[in-house]
Amino acid sequence: MTDVAARNPARGVPPAFVGIASLVLFLLIVELLIRTDLISRYIVPPPSEIAASFWRVIVEEHVFRRFLLTATECLTAGVMITVIGVASGVLMHRYKLLQDACETWVAGLAAAPVVLAYPLFMVIFGRNAWTIIMIGFVAALPPVILKTIEGMAGTRKVLVNVGRSFNLTGPQQFWKILLPASLPTIFVGIRLGLVFALINVVGVEFLINYGGLGQLINDLSERYDLAGTYAAICFVILVSVLFFMALEKAERWLRPVD
Amino acid sequence: MAETGRLRQAAVAAPVISQVTLLRAAIILSVLAIWEFLSHSGWLYRDVVPSLISIGEALGQLLARPNYYYNLGVTAAEIGAAVAIGGISGMAVGLLLGANRYLSRAFENYLYYLGPTPKIIFFPVMIMWFGVGTESKVALGTLSCFFPIALSVAAGMRQIDKVLIRVGRSFQASTAQMVLKIYIPAMRHPIINGIRLGLGVALIGTLLAETKLSNKGIGFLIIQAYSTFDMPRMYAMLIVLFVLAIGANALIGRLGGLDSIKRS
Amino acid sequence: MKQIRKLASAVVLGAVVMAAPAAADDLVKMTIGQRGNWDTAITHLGEKAGIFKKHGIQMEMIYTSGSGETLQPVISGGVDLGLAVGTLGAMAAFSKGAPVRIVGAQATGAADYWYAKNPAIKTLKDTDGRTIAYSSNGSSTHSVVRAFIDEYKLTGAKTQTTGNPSSTLTAVMTDQVDVGWASPPFGLKELQEGKIHIVAKATDATLVRGQTIRVLVANTDTLTKRKAVLDRFMQAYREAIDYMYSDNPQVIKDYAEFAGVPEVMARRVRDEFFPKSLVNPDQIHGLETLVPEAVNLKFIPAPLSKEQIAELIQIPPRK
Repeated sequence: MTDVAARNPARGVPPAFVGIASLVLFLLIVELLIRTDLISRYIVPPPSEIAASFWRVIVEEHVFRRFLLTATECLTAGVMITVIGVASGVLMHRYKLLQDACETWVAGLAAAPVVLAYPLFMVIFGRNAWTIIMIGFVAALPPVILKTIEGMAGTRKVLVNVGRSFNLTGPQQFWKILLPASLPTIFVGIRLGLVFALINVVGVEFLINYGGLGQLINDLSERYDLAGTYAAICFVILVSVLFFMALEKAERWLRPVD
Repeated sequence: MAETGRLRQAAVAAPVISQVTLLRAAIILSVLAIWEFLSHSGWLYRDVVPSLISIGEALGQLLARPNYYYNLGVTAAEIGAAVAIGGISGMAVGLLLGANRYLSRAFENYLYYLGPTPKIIFFPVMIMWFGVGTESKVALGTLSCFFPIALSVAAGMRQIDKVLIRVGRSFQASTAQMVLKIYIPAMRHPIINGIRLGLGVALIGTLLAETKLSNKGIGFLIIQAYSTFDMPRMYAMLIVLFVLAIGANALIGRLGGLDSIKRS
Repeated sequence: MKQIRKLASAVVLGAVVMAAPAAADDLVKMTIGQRGNWDTAITHLGEKAGIFKKHGIQMEMIYTSGSGETLQPVISGGVDLGLAVGTLGAMAAFSKGAPVRIVGAQATGAADYWYAKNPAIKTLKDTDGRTIAYSSNGSSTHSVVRAFIDEYKLTGAKTQTTGNPSSTLTAVMTDQVDVGWASPPFGLKELQEGKIHIVAKATDATLVRGQTIRVLVANTDTLTKRKAVLDRFMQAYREAIDYMYSDNPQVIKDYAEFAGVPEVMARRVRDEFFPKSLVNPDQIHGLETLVPEAVNLKFIPAPLSKEQIAELIQIPPRK
């Protein structure tokens, strides 16, 4: 994208500023719509009320402990999908037979409502954090595998041929050519996987009413504390913000030249 | 000499059953065997891990009732609408963010941050705006699948070979021509994968909405089965869902010509 | 040409007439929680017997899997009524100014029962050092378990949330919790098969017997603009209850089909667990304990005044 300057809608203004300004504008519009009753305040509380309830939620609802629990569950699931997902993707790319047999199944798993099988998970792992982690893991695995395969398959032939011309062995070819070339796509897959993991972890916590932030959201909404419910949702967003910042750092460390 | 080679080739006939099918059958049979073993071993609570025979029976009964197909149709229609609306809007936003670095830096992070929130928590808002009928389920499905599609397309845009873009520009292609003739064809793989993932999320979002509030649809039937602890019937419905999800995924892949670009 | 036009308009008119609901019927939309229980089947059974139609009421029933989802569409005006909303939740919404009012008692006392797999646990007194289940914080089962602990001085017992009856049964059978809870007809089959046995019934706690734990709520718009319809609905509702407790065998048949249980079990559900007083909608009982509980569990910030309660509870009187 070389002609960014020509397409820059607000030349000179840093993009982050535009982003934040739009967010603030959006919140103001929502506040206005609620105050004029175009949106029922009993379904969506005014953003000002949500902001006011933050302190109460933090202090009374042990948010920090819950935040740690949810974040740990996501981290565990995230590590598992990265290790097992990338490894599976590499295996499937290496053995075409495996890929032909299983790729559509993996894609189908991405669409399967794993969450609805939670009774089975509860029987195997008990009504505790491991059920939540495992559901997150199973649901988040497909994007990582699929994107790994896509990344490896999409490596430019030129690079592969260069490697061959240097008579690189199989493992050398993999570690020096294929893997680095696929990293951008693999990272997209991990990011997507983390999205799925977080959605499923908080979603299952919400559904079975156990755990960290998801359970808090359920509790507060059953108590009809809407401002608190949305404040808790903001904490969920905070978890995802932290994860993606960490992931960005990791990606930059692995691929210093972009 | 060439003739001998050719004859030898013809003698080795193509196998009747392909290796792929054999491997798939082997995997399925082992999974079924492990399940049946677990069911009979008593290690796991029998009622939640019922024997394959009872699941098979439930499956038979399920498929014989016309009421099931009605509910299946309701859910399928909801998901279809959700993927269509979410897919088109997601692609549009993804194209925009992928093409324009400025907009991407301004707004794409918000998609990343909002993406991982389970959309089921916004269901009451959907009910408020769209009522208690199927529209609110479609709305939730749309909201669910918008994010993965937008993000996948945006990322795909940035990975298009710059050469192709320059070719398009050198022909002075209009924006519409760039989109239709350069961007979308170059991004076939990411778009198809994005839609596959979007389908999955839309399916889950719609089903979860049905379990929370409804009087028809597969989600409604599943929660009925679970609340009466009829686990064989619940598994039967999940199996059908899973098979249909795989089928839909494969169909989208086939339609997108995925087979032809896989070999590159 | 004229004949075709006559035919066309006749067809259109016929279609319109057939598509429109019967002239006198008013449509009442409602959300209902806990489908399959005897006390939430009143509208379904009454509809099957033609009672609601007799009063000119046509119903659209949407089922939910939680008190929150039952209440929210009432608040947003998507439905007219919510059946089986937790009383505490209704109070919470009202105290925040939401446009909902209580128009009837849905369950006074409770039919829930607590059971165990371990034969060593015979009564509540045997729960020292053991875990007792309830569905979630602030639910009616939570109130019952707290009442058990208070009244029977179960200082050694621990409580645990286990969600719905199915998850609870799974937890009990996999030894994750000692005493589980269920709402009949759930678990009756397992009871019959001897896999579990009853340890206590909700009504064993005197506090619970007199408490209205779930209510019928209506949107304020329905209450003001469609008062006559609401009155007729409540009349039909009461008549349906009379029918359910009559000797008519059809109601047991219909309920058995609705809940997916054998007729013998259906009869057991009604006769052993659901006395008629449980479903009587005429009065909200136990406010003197419910309101402090609501404050205690943070559902409402402060006790409701007499005026507030008079505004909140507006039950159409029995004719």
